[in-house]
Amino acid sequence: MACAAIAGLSLSTAAQAQMISGVVNGERYAPTIWIDPDGCEHWVMDDGVEGYMDLKVDRQGIPTCHPVQACAVMNSDQLFATDRYTISASGRKRLTDFFAQAGATAYIIIGHTDSRASDEYNMKLSYNRANAVAKIAQSTGARIADVRGYGERMPAASNATAAGMQKNRRVEIICIK
Amino acid sequence: MKALKAIALLGLLGATSACTEAALGNMGYESHKQDKTVDRGFDSKHLSQLQAGIWIDPQGCDHWIIDDGVEGYLSARVDKYGKPVCSGIAPPNTAVGPYKDGSNFGDPI
Repeated sequence: MACAAIAGLSLSTAAQAQMISGVVNGERYAPTIWIDPDGCEHWVMDDGVEGYMDLKVDRQGIPTCHPVQACAVMNSDQLFATDRYTISASGRKRLTDFFAQAGATAYIIIGHTDSRASDEYNMKLSYNRANAVAKIAQSTGARIADVRGYGERMPAASNATAAGMQKNRRVEIICIK
Repeated sequence: MKALKAIALLGLLGATSACTEAALGNMGYESHKQDKTVDRGFDSKHLSQLQAGIWIDPQGCDHWIIDDGVEGYLSARVDKYGKPVCSGIAPPNTAVGPYKDGSNFGDPI
């Protein structure tokens, strides 16, 4: 069954998204871009006494956000032992110091791993690590807006080199002003 | 609400100067405003200059809110992965921040 489907597809190249061709009966509405205080882009139009705005996203639903103010990316190797999610004493101090001075309204904590081990394992490990960081944040009185683990799915560097993999093992802290 | 606002505005336009008329045309408003990327008339500017505050929706998540005189704008606040930002900065159904700072046009409604 699967073989037949693949054979059928191989006759032509992959399908592409297409526009409807022909004459369009409509009015021209060309937007400009407004960048919000977080650095993300929105479509905006002023049509006289009406105004319109919507978030600009690509076809995967991902917005265009420019880095306005980097908050913190903690290297996992300095917080955790391999495959573990217990935070070392020095890591705990570093995190406590960070949250004491960061001064944000709330924080989103996101764990990431390199591409070794299975996707499923990495999703779990990264979430557990993010949770460990969030618990320390909470103990300092910081408000946590969300805790997530993206495993190996959102790499910051290439997993082909040891240096790249080390960069990918990280806990990202997004500060919400 | 919107209709009331528009009527109030049109009334005002009749009484204002030639400067406004030049910007808005002799119908009192632009029948087919061509360039949607600028705000004309009372507080002319490019739309990239808009000043936003935060509106917290009934589910507790943040949106950018902009009251720009006769135009109002609302758009989702998301992080770089596209997930909603729910900061807890204020209770649901409230607006905070400088969302009325972008325009000097009086907004009694």
